[in-house]
Amino acid sequence: MNGAEALVKCLEIEGISKIFGYPGVAIAPFYDALPDSTIEHVLVRQEQAAGHAASGYARISRKPAVCVTSSGPGATNLITALATAYADSIPVIAITGQVESHLLGKDVFQEVDMRGMTESIVKYSYLVKSADDIPRIVKEAFYVAQAGRKGPVLIDIPADVQKAELTKKFVYPEKVSIRSYKPNTKGNTQQMAKVVKAIKKAKKPLICAGGGVILADAEKEITAFCEKNGVPLVNTMMGIGVMPKEHPLYFGMLGNNGKPYANRAVAMSDLLIVVGARIADRAVPKPENLEQQVSIIHIDIDTAEIGKNLGPTLPLVGDAKKIFRELTEADIHLDTAAWIQKLEDIKHGTVDHRVFSNDLINPMTLVQTLSEKMDEDAIYVADVGQNQLWSADNYVMKKGRFLTTGGMGTMGYSIPAAIGAKMCSPDTQVVCVCGDGSFQMSMNELATIAVNRIPVKILVVKNTVLGLVREHQNKVYDGRYSGTDLYEYPHFESIAAAYDMKYFHASEMSELDQTIDSFLSDPGAAIMVCDVDRDSMVI
Amino acid sequence: MKGIFSVLVENKDGVLSQISGLFARRGYNIDSLAVGETEQHDMSSMTIVSTGDQRTIDQIEKQLNKKLDIIKVRRLEENAAVIRETMLIRVAYNTTNRSSIIEICSVMGAKILSMTQKCLLIELTESPEQVDNFVEMMRVYGIQEIQKTGAIAMAKK
Repeated sequence: MNGAEALVKCLEIEGISKIFGYPGVAIAPFYDALPDSTIEHVLVRQEQAAGHAASGYARISRKPAVCVTSSGPGATNLITALATAYADSIPVIAITGQVESHLLGKDVFQEVDMRGMTESIVKYSYLVKSADDIPRIVKEAFYVAQAGRKGPVLIDIPADVQKAELTKKFVYPEKVSIRSYKPNTKGNTQQMAKVVKAIKKAKKPLICAGGGVILADAEKEITAFCEKNGVPLVNTMMGIGVMPKEHPLYFGMLGNNGKPYANRAVAMSDLLIVVGARIADRAVPKPENLEQQVSIIHIDIDTAEIGKNLGPTLPLVGDAKKIFRELTEADIHLDTAAWIQKLEDIKHGTVDHRVFSNDLINPMTLVQTLSEKMDEDAIYVADVGQNQLWSADNYVMKKGRFLTTGGMGTMGYSIPAAIGAKMCSPDTQVVCVCGDGSFQMSMNELATIAVNRIPVKILVVKNTVLGLVREHQNKVYDGRYSGTDLYEYPHFESIAAAYDMKYFHASEMSELDQTIDSFLSDPGAAIMVCDVDRDSMVI
Repeated sequence: MKGIFSVLVENKDGVLSQISGLFARRGYNIDSLAVGETEQHDMSSMTIVSTGDQRTIDQIEKQLNKKLDIIKVRRLEENAAVIRETMLIRVAYNTTNRSSIIEICSVMGAKILSMTQKCLLIELTESPEQVDNFVEMMRVYGIQEIQKTGAIAMAKK
């Protein structure tokens, strides 16, 4: 058994059935071992898509997913996807081929220092030096990717190590022992007691749930806690999906692009319980103000998040699932009826003053109609830009999932991530929503969709401009638009035809309903374009 | 404020660059960094001295703890630890000032390692403050070159 065969075997043992990748000489031994395995390889059309597809897959399976590329440019193309996965804490295992060991450091053809380049955007990385190390390294990589705060792990493996025969018998380790890494998942008992005490005293408690709640698979636990104690909840963009939109305790997304009543709720609360959120600038522009207004409990699996952006808090480090199970059982009895009523009043009293052109499609109604018509458990993948903010603001969450890249804001994420999500869960409806800008960053992946017959639905919010940057130029640079016009290209109908995909188009509100119905009920992959006025604004 | 970290790390390639990279990209200061193998060959010990406000020093400790190749991070309080730095300093002398330099060395506990017709090579192992103090005293005589190890530190118990 050589290194490449051992690597494939390890992936099989880890239960990997699909990987996303792009071959090259430096990873050729691995590709040679692949056809003899049970693993299905999905050839993407550019390496970045392999990373995003693995991310989409991992978010749905809630387990690490794998992408593979060659060395040099193949590996560097993956870097944006790794940075994206890192920012969103997604457990992606990236396997990159590397030049032969004796050539390392000689600047030979397609050599880059992948470990060095990715140091700050992966949780950990390995340069494999001996084929005998492969089982241990793969076992560790899968453990590290999903233990504690999740994140991407890189395995850079020189071609000669892939070809080398193992000198020892192949044994896949049962346990991982990394002396320097033992993440704490159970909340400290003393801290827990302090948290319970603080909650008991609260008159106007509020939970702010981030993406960490979903990563911890703790949606049910946190909802149970809220329901038992009458605690209302808001979420960050990455936390969309923690509670369904119609839940009486749900008060929307906070932040610059969130609901005004969600932000009011934060400002009016007397105890804010932040869970699995880093409190980045888009969610809370001035955390120092917040610190002065309310007392804060900060729950996170990552100790370093405590006190990074948010000042003095009552910290509790641990796994949200375990913590909320305990908190639900704790002896807490709150009477929050008046507080909830107050939030209800504010919510219903909020008037949306935004106006949209009546000639074309109203993007807010579009997202509401689309998400209402989607299956209960559907997966909605939003790209980046105005489409993302309209999506986050108007999405009618039922029991499905809302995937987007909140941390890195990587344009072109949605199509490959939707591919990954659909391949993970073939029976679930997957709808990808992007702008005409972000669509063009990943439209090469339509080939991946066509070849592999992946029935994802792609809805393009077409406004012929890079809308969010243009909106910024409108507001901050007095409408001096620079480099943001996409013009009328491409002809989407021709693009759909080129990849044998069904094409739908809506340019008037009167045809929206019916077009969405036909689009969603079509059994195959399809593209639907909605014309939106280029002057439509998010805020 | 000053943060003194005693950091136990895996003795592997790339660990030093991971740590210096962490400080660089997050904008933390490194006042000094010293590293050497411990009694176990697979572990190295580092002393990192940094300055920043309380929140920054706290974050440095947490960010260091996140690195998988870092086995243990200890934050040392200045008065509960011994901090030492070794310096080699070459100073020019002449017949009129030679004895005063030698006198300072004797008072400060510095060793003269080499003496030529024009210069003295002196070694001093002391606290970083005393080392800086010594440098100031030598300045008037004409410092030719300085090499410092960076501070190493150990808790008294």
